[in-house]
Amino acid sequence: MEYILHIFVMILFYVMLSQSLTLTAGYSGLISLAHAGFYGIGAYTSAILSINFGLPFLITLPLAMILSGLLAAIVSIIALRTVDDYFIIITLGIQVVAFSIMNNWMELTNGPLGIPGIPVITILGFTFSSKLSFLLLTLFLTSAVFYFLRNITKSPFGRILIALSEDEIFTKSLGKKVYLAKVTSFTIGAMLAAIPGVLYAHYISYIDPTSFTVNESIFILSLVIIGGMRNLWGSAIAAAVLVILPEVLRFIGMPSNIAANMRQIIYGLALVIIMFKYGKGFVSKNSAGQEVK
Amino acid sequence: MNQIILNILYTAFLYILISMSFTIEYYISKFFNLFHAFVISFSAYLVYFFSIQLNIIIYLSIFLSIVISSVLGVSSEYLFFRPLRKTDTKPFQLMIASLGLYLIFQNILSLIWGDTSLSIRQDNIEAGYKIFNGYITGNQIITIFISSSLMILTQVFLKYSSMGINLRAVSSNSSLSNIWGINTNRVFICSFFIGSLIASVAGILVAYETDLAPNMGFNLFLYGAIVMIIGGTGNIWGLVEGAFLLAIAQHLGAYFIDSKWLDVIAYITLILFLVFKPLGFNGKQLKKVEV
Repeated sequence: MEYILHIFVMILFYVMLSQSLTLTAGYSGLISLAHAGFYGIGAYTSAILSINFGLPFLITLPLAMILSGLLAAIVSIIALRTVDDYFIIITLGIQVVAFSIMNNWMELTNGPLGIPGIPVITILGFTFSSKLSFLLLTLFLTSAVFYFLRNITKSPFGRILIALSEDEIFTKSLGKKVYLAKVTSFTIGAMLAAIPGVLYAHYISYIDPTSFTVNESIFILSLVIIGGMRNLWGSAIAAAVLVILPEVLRFIGMPSNIAANMRQIIYGLALVIIMFKYGKGFVSKNSAGQEVK
Repeated sequence: MNQIILNILYTAFLYILISMSFTIEYYISKFFNLFHAFVISFSAYLVYFFSIQLNIIIYLSIFLSIVISSVLGVSSEYLFFRPLRKTDTKPFQLMIASLGLYLIFQNILSLIWGDTSLSIRQDNIEAGYKIFNGYITGNQIITIFISSSLMILTQVFLKYSSMGINLRAVSSNSSLSNIWGINTNRVFICSFFIGSLIASVAGILVAYETDLAPNMGFNLFLYGAIVMIIGGTGNIWGLVEGAFLLAIAQHLGAYFIDSKWLDVIAYITLILFLVFKPLGFNGKQLKKVEV
């Protein structure tokens, strides 16, 4: 039972990650490979603050989100001078820099040894120590993220994002602030990615840089692509399937190191197949919200 | 200090080799082919397979490895990217497809030879030759020599052979050169062949200098891509300048700060470049910047 609850918690983490990237990569078309970096920044901020200063979860969560958002805003102002595949390379660079800081800044992050002994979450005297209570907390935050993203993508701002991802110059000619909208979308995506980071740090109670590598970023991006780019439910289902998959492989008797490689092979295969099938824009919905055949 | 200059020289020529192999594909196909990173590591593993596991003499195994890796690169274009390109995909979609392909093959490589690093050097590590108060290994001299000669050969090929002229024509306007009767598909195949060939040479040289790991190609590829963005794709001198700039920045950074920040220094160089000189060294080909 504990094991099944654990899998549910992990699924919800990836649902949050993939949905926050859906806003950035799907709606505004900014394919980002830096998402695991912001996920890690959330985790490290909360871990360091709660261990060194004893701050409670209700303070570390907003602080982690603000820090992640601030870094994302600064970085995206520079990175958004480029578009398309150059932008992907730059975000890959941001990811590598973020990982390198987590791995090498010994004084702050304890390097490859990681940070052990992160306290469990306590809100107003209630301790979320059992798996079930933690699952409910995660479920609550996931639904909050989902609700927020669903509203923001249906708002006028969401329509600007869709418009600029389809024709940037035309959107500019309508008087919309394209650059600002892109920076905002990237920043919101990074802020939301910090939430599962904070939860992950307190849930596992130990973090090290290997949880926030380039491969993790690629995994989150493939969840969004497999889910259909502009589809919040789709990315949630993709997250559920791809988190359960290696566990199933382990159940049928595959050693766990082979299962890890198999998981990467499977989502690589999924990326390839999707690119072939939806060669003409794999976005499953067009701007009017209709299915594209 | 002399040692640093020698190291910079070696690193710069290695970066030139890698970025050249990648640029010649980008020059024609206009997308970041991440599968190229796999070709680099695959060639190194093939040398390991032939020379250590099958005990074939070293020169034959290097030759076989280069041939097989080039065939792999060409067949990725023939079987994979060409059908994909026919459906009018955007460059970033091709890039994601190549990322998927890279993931599949890299993990198959890990499944076969494991995730740990392997060594193909059999003899003891040599101190190297002493030049100007610094040491340089024989392997590093070979790298510099091969890199500069391949650079000259590629330039001669692009300038004077008829295929090279076709290559430049397709690069500047693919559909117009098709109208003028140039077989675009053959030009694509040719560029992928040259790119994979140089990439496999680079992979083998790196494998002899350091050791080999399944993801070694990815890091090298990223340095190559940085050099290309800094230098621009227009001509070889941009690449040379970019490679030297990156090598100097990295080695001075490693000397004055710490060698663990190499990646960070590389990307900060790239970002500074994008802020202050967004068009690259030669300033024309990088039209993707600033819409």
